[in-house]
Amino acid sequence: MSEMVLQTEGLTKYYGGKLALDHFTIRIPRGCICGFVGRNGSGKTTAIKLLLGFLNPTAGSSQVLGCNSQQLTPAIRQRIGYVSEGHRLIRWMTIAEIAKFQRAFFPGQWDIKLFWDMIEYFDLSKKQKIKYLSNGQRAQVSLALALAPNPELLIMDDPTLGLDAAIRRQFLEGMIGLIMWQGRTIFFSSHILGDVERVADRIVVLDKGVVRADCSLEQFRNAVKKVRCRFTGPILPKVNIDGLLHFRQSADELELVLVGTDDKEIADWAGSSGVVEYRAVNMNLEDQFIEYTAPAGRMKLFQWEEK
Amino acid sequence: MALWIQITPGSDEPIYVQIVEQISEAIAKGELAVSDKLPAVRKLAAELVINPSTVARAYTILEQAGLVTTKTGSGTFVSDPRMRSKDASDVNVLAERMDTVIVRSLNLGLDADDILAMFRNRLAKFSKAKKEREK
Repeated sequence: MSEMVLQTEGLTKYYGGKLALDHFTIRIPRGCICGFVGRNGSGKTTAIKLLLGFLNPTAGSSQVLGCNSQQLTPAIRQRIGYVSEGHRLIRWMTIAEIAKFQRAFFPGQWDIKLFWDMIEYFDLSKKQKIKYLSNGQRAQVSLALALAPNPELLIMDDPTLGLDAAIRRQFLEGMIGLIMWQGRTIFFSSHILGDVERVADRIVVLDKGVVRADCSLEQFRNAVKKVRCRFTGPILPKVNIDGLLHFRQSADELELVLVGTDDKEIADWAGSSGVVEYRAVNMNLEDQFIEYTAPAGRMKLFQWEEK
Repeated sequence: MALWIQITPGSDEPIYVQIVEQISEAIAKGELAVSDKLPAVRKLAAELVINPSTVARAYTILEQAGLVTTKTGSGTFVSDPRMRSKDASDVNVLAERMDTVIVRSLNLGLDADDILAMFRNRLAKFSKAKKEREK
């Protein structure tokens, strides 16, 4: 079995009486890029802060690089790169000053050449002050700071939020560049499923504080399916098929969203349920994510009435 | 070797399938000839800005299909068609796929001659590319 870089067990966090994270259990093996997805307010930032020991859990435990999140030593922290949401950097420093400041936390492993090459590539210069940079430029500095120590584990909280396509691509290139090094692991949250699909080989889906998936991206792609069926007679009042997540029906069509149901099970069900014709509806990762996290009851809000 | 691969994240086709299809097509058209070398996994991953394991997955599928062979230490190469196995089940699968096209064509009101002409036309695109390369 491969070594787990991130491992949590029933990690739970309440803010007062509000449950933010509910028995969050994940296992992330070394060497992968894991996309951490979930809708706004699903608890991604809370989970990341707990992993890094910036918050204390109400219950449960988490380990990062084999060390308890609440007791991360400087030696372990040195092996972890972290990019916070919104790229918060010390505002009054210049780029040169912030580089010097950060470098002190990573003695002996800070790649000066890589840092300045990136700064130059981004058309920035050492004398510029952080507070006068645009959001995009601040994100670029933050990316260079994250990659310079060549971290064994890189954790990024929605690093491309609000960035233009070109800077987003630089982040993806940076991630691919880092993963080429032996044994590196990246865990990043994002709302851009196209980016996740491009670079990730693993996915964790968080929905209202609950982990709904922790698997390879390919497994998720294969598991979530949508099938559209036509019937001869009246539509069945009940749909009995394993893996049914929810269904929608119109006049003579029934749409099923299934998880982990194989093609033979679908064919068997169709054969025994009076289905005249059925076909799989193609879905991209974003469609799959939306269907997978959609509560059955809520979908109706968006259904258009037929006139 | 300039291998032209264009990937579209957000497509309903997974990225590794897009790579498999484009390389398969390049081999069929002769844009990639026997014993041509495919780009190294890491190089292609960096170029396309995708996870190296996605490229590796695509290469494994191409290898299982017999289109390429991997020589440890030296890379992945287009295999000789004479060395690719063609068993009866592969041919059956193709025949069944053709049925789908035939059914749609007949339903559109095309007759047998139209269908054959269309098929020759499409096929010509592939052999044309191959001939140009051989010149």
